[in-house]
Amino acid sequence: MFDSFKHKVGEVVLPGDVFSFASLAPDSRVEKLICGPGLRRNGDEVLVCKSGVLRHKPPNLFWVDSQQRRYVPAKGESVIGIVTTKVGDTFKVDVGGSEQASLSYLAFEGATKRNRPNVQVGDLVYAQFIIANKDMEPELVCIDSCGRANGMGVFGTDGLLFRVSLGLVRRLLVPQSEIVKDLERLFPFEMVVGMNGRVWVRARTTQQTLIVANLLESCENMTAEQRKALFLRVAGGCP
Amino acid sequence: MHNARNAMEVESSSTCALREFGCEQSLLSRPDGSSSFIQGDTSVLAGVYGPADVKVSKEIHDRATLEVLIQPKVGMSGVRERAQEQCVRETCEAALLSSLHPRSSLSLVLQIIHDDGSLLSCCLNAACMALMDAGLPMGCLFCGVTCAIDRDGRIVTDPTMQQEKESRALMTFAIDSTERKVLMSTTKGSFSVNELQQCIAVSQRASEKIFQFYRDSVRRRYSKTL
Amino acid sequence: MAAGFKTAEPLEYHRSFLKENCRPDGRELGEFRATTLNIGSISTADGSALVKIGNTTVICGIKAELATPPTDAPNKGYIVPNVDLPPLCSSRFRPGPPGEQAQAASQFIADLIDSANIIQREDLCIESGKLSWVLYCDIMCLDYDGNLLDACVIALLAALENAQLPEVTINKETELAEVNPQKLHPLNVTKHPVGSSFAVFDNTIVIVDPTAEEESLSTATITVVTDEDERLCALHKPGGSGLSAEKLQDCISRAVTRHREVRKLIEEVLKSIKPQQ
Repeated sequence: MFDSFKHKVGEVVLPGDVFSFASLAPDSRVEKLICGPGLRRNGDEVLVCKSGVLRHKPPNLFWVDSQQRRYVPAKGESVIGIVTTKVGDTFKVDVGGSEQASLSYLAFEGATKRNRPNVQVGDLVYAQFIIANKDMEPELVCIDSCGRANGMGVFGTDGLLFRVSLGLVRRLLVPQSEIVKDLERLFPFEMVVGMNGRVWVRARTTQQTLIVANLLESCENMTAEQRKALFLRVAGGCP
Repeated sequence: MHNARNAMEVESSSTCALREFGCEQSLLSRPDGSSSFIQGDTSVLAGVYGPADVKVSKEIHDRATLEVLIQPKVGMSGVRERAQEQCVRETCEAALLSSLHPRSSLSLVLQIIHDDGSLLSCCLNAACMALMDAGLPMGCLFCGVTCAIDRDGRIVTDPTMQQEKESRALMTFAIDSTERKVLMSTTKGSFSVNELQQCIAVSQRASEKIFQFYRDSVRRRYSKTL
Repeated sequence: MAAGFKTAEPLEYHRSFLKENCRPDGRELGEFRATTLNIGSISTADGSALVKIGNTTVICGIKAELATPPTDAPNKGYIVPNVDLPPLCSSRFRPGPPGEQAQAASQFIADLIDSANIIQREDLCIESGKLSWVLYCDIMCLDYDGNLLDACVIALLAALENAQLPEVTINKETELAEVNPQKLHPLNVTKHPVGSSFAVFDNTIVIVDPTAEEESLSTATITVVTDEDERLCALHKPGGSGLSAEKLQDCISRAVTRHREVRKLIEEVLKSIKPQQ
């Protein structure tokens, strides 16, 4: 069906590359195509608008995997934000995008008009976007659709927050991530990973926290073998 | 940091011979996208910030505000740089899908490292690679090609400073990657219509090589995650 | 109704006209606005001209001063053009240092003087290595309604043709320059370039002589400058949407006919002011 497309999967594509489905007969185009990040649909054509590796998830999802650094909010994504100001009943949260996101004080578990959540300027919040599009101010919430916190909310009284590339974040967040598995073997630690490229880590000691942070940062441009070798070396050197 | 440096050598006998090209992406840590582009001895470093917060006075309601700064190797930027900035900015605006990031600002800073001819085309190439590295949505790519017509009427592509000085006319074009159309054109010296058409044709041929070079550079950059 | 449509959907408003092959001001796609020229309007300048293309008004004054020639080219003089877009001419320009558009226009005019060879810089030399003329060509926009570059080129050319420089001799004994204001000589204008600007709508439709509104709605603008030998002196397209070779050829042929029209206009105006002197 998407033959012209499928054999490009796993290859590098550049903006301006066009895949046309116009040659196919209209009735044979039964399969629907879902365009993920970096792809745009234009009639019978799919236009690439970001450089990166073309990925495919059966049956019909395609996207471009790129190593971008600037975060662009997307609905449903969970991010780590920093509360910057309190404006009336909402908090302004810096998520690293082009605009600050707003977060209502009612969007926390168990919050009511009387029972306000304890959020201070400078706090870290793990929250989810419920509004994120190019025309509106992005809005965050710290509850899921059932009103439960589900892991979201204010966190991180100590620990370390740092930035990595968005590509690495996605690699950390895949279920059964190799990197996370390898790291877990070294020593126990807590980690929060936001889709906006922010990672927060806390281990038993400051030294261990720094080791985890440095290892994650160095994972950016390493192949699996290089990473394994590095982790082995660290495991050997650690008390 | 990731290294995607490689070299492209083209047989010098063909009419659209280019100097040795080099490119590296993501070499700076602070900008959201960066690149360095080398054409022979001409070298330009580019950094892109954005989409970021925009000043209210510069806000455009339906697209991103693009700002281009060209920093010369020595001294302050002057009228010449301002004219080049305008050319680079409007070329980038044509390629970028800036309506996807309304009310935000994009800034592109081009630092000239060394000028040995074909400077504007090198700036355009560095700009395109940096925009691509920043992951900004683009409808097409573009590249810059400079052509010089020497005293004997021969067309020299990607001229050095010396060749530029000896030339009778000098033209720089920006070519887009989808239809090979002329996005930008700026010229010096006088020339006939026929010479212009020839230069455009030669630039379009040269652009094929540059776009292939772009693809090879990006492929090298992503080689570890393939 | 029409006014509301124009304010709410300016692009759609223009498109509906372009579909009928005409423009909101009643012109056809390939029609220039009425161009008028007044030469010698500033009596205190050595040469001047005022050009109106529709509402766009540009005035150019030439001031000649004496200076020592540049050391790297002792037999040449200087030509220093400057384009000024004061806040007076449009609300889009703010007071303060010149903006990008003004600087880009200045650079364009400076490049054009070199490219087209309007004046041989050797002609401005009075005595090699000692004394030469500096021509300050100040171009000021009084009313901005698009197509600035065309107006600037016509104003510059007409002002240069109008300029009269006094005879200067160097006294052999005192080594001082002696100016004889009674003996005036016109400049030797060798080439007469004329520009034609075009705007591209929706990547396809090309219109000539865009107004300010058309410029801001268009996807690209192009300026083609030709001289009397039908050679191109500049093909300036600062960016925007791509243009096919055929469209470019159309623009060039239109520029060639425009060159003849403007040349005729300048010559007529020059002739009409001659008898008074």
